[in-house]
Amino acid sequence: MLSELIIQFFRFFILLFVQVLVLDQIEISGPVNGYFNAYLYILFLLMLPVNINRLLLLLLSFITGLSIDMFTGTAGMHASACLVLGFTRPGFLNLLAPREGYESTLRLSVQGMGASTFLVYTSLMTLLHHLVLYLLEAFTFLNFFDLLLRVVSSTIFTMLLIVFSQILTQRSRELEA
Amino acid sequence: MRNFFLIIRKYNVFIVFLLLQGFSLYLLINNNSYQREAVVSTSNEVVGRIYVAYSEVSDYLKLGMTNRLLAEENARLRAGDSSSFYRMSILKTAVNDTVYKQQYEYITARVINNSVSKVNNYLTLDAGSLKGIKPDMPVISSNGVVGVVKDVSPHFSTVMSALNSNTRISAKFTKNNYFGSAMWLGGSPQIGVLNDIPSHAPVSKGDTVVTTSYSKYPAGIMVGQVYEVGQKGVSFKDLKIKFSTDFQNLSYVYVIRDLMKAERDTLEAKTNTEDVK
Repeated sequence: MLSELIIQFFRFFILLFVQVLVLDQIEISGPVNGYFNAYLYILFLLMLPVNINRLLLLLLSFITGLSIDMFTGTAGMHASACLVLGFTRPGFLNLLAPREGYESTLRLSVQGMGASTFLVYTSLMTLLHHLVLYLLEAFTFLNFFDLLLRVVSSTIFTMLLIVFSQILTQRSRELEA
Repeated sequence: MRNFFLIIRKYNVFIVFLLLQGFSLYLLINNNSYQREAVVSTSNEVVGRIYVAYSEVSDYLKLGMTNRLLAEENARLRAGDSSSFYRMSILKTAVNDTVYKQQYEYITARVINNSVSKVNNYLTLDAGSLKGIKPDMPVISSNGVVGVVKDVSPHFSTVMSALNSNTRISAKFTKNNYFGSAMWLGGSPQIGVLNDIPSHAPVSKGDTVVTTSYSKYPAGIMVGQVYEVGQKGVSFKDLKIKFSTDFQNLSYVYVIRDLMKAERDTLEAKTNTEDVK
């Protein structure tokens, strides 16, 4: 139990620093600038235990979003998008649940859920998060079709990184075993 | 009353969600207000220090480019210095300078955080109110305009970059005095647009665009060059400009303090209030 807590704690800080110091610094020249912004930090929220208290999940979503906001100077924007993610996560998980429900020890990862279910789960949640985030960012700017394109292209980029991170952690677990 | 508590217990998750969401949106919408200062600025010192540590590493990678830019600027300044002019007159007089009174001071600062890929981009500088920086001061690089100071803490300040959907820069051509407003519509961080130039103005590709003194910048600071000339409607030109500042490679910038700003502001405020009456 304690080790689980430590793992979550480390995952939070590693993802926060990767987001702020690596992913937010990526700049692509030319007209595609702004179309490929990855927000890998939401993986922390996606991988929290399946039976986590819903209030705690909301609170953690809020804190995660606000931490990112403090670095990017966008007060409330990521917090708001994360809250939507935290609020809808149990619903999405129920939709994808096997008939007998989840076991409480299940890990929300590729090994735990199986590749296809994990991919559906993460990509739907990522899409929702990015859509809310970009809508909040744009408010009155740019036309909607362009915004959707930015949402989809960024979702693809984030998903690539999520898959990549899963491959990395899976390899290290296999080596340990 | 009992029912009321039952409802709260039943929908507690939804209620907490609404409360937190309300708070987030409140922060987002009151982007300039005291609340944002209170919530975000207290941590700004911590965040600022992390970015300083980061840029100490990344600055090394940009040293070559930075040196070249500084050398170029030095050459330009040296060319303008009085020692590089040949005196054509034999008259020698002591100059008690009543003709020129200093209006602008420059505060150097290092860029410790920068983005170009958002709709609204900001920079963070490692100089704040202790060095005399105040909100609304213009910021330039050795190549041209960068942005305007937004928030200030004792050691850091944030700058609303020219690459921000809310930025408008009053700009004119060097070859004639037609003026318009330069802004950025997203996409490439090098390309912006220049609005409100009448269609009869003679403009060609490569024309230099500089600031006017109508907005916060001093007059004559480089904005960029005309990149593409088109026609929008009947009366206006559709101009694309290439910014002279390379926003993706900013290390050092100058914050400009206008020593006569207070005088100008009071005068303009007075005129405006009389206008209302």
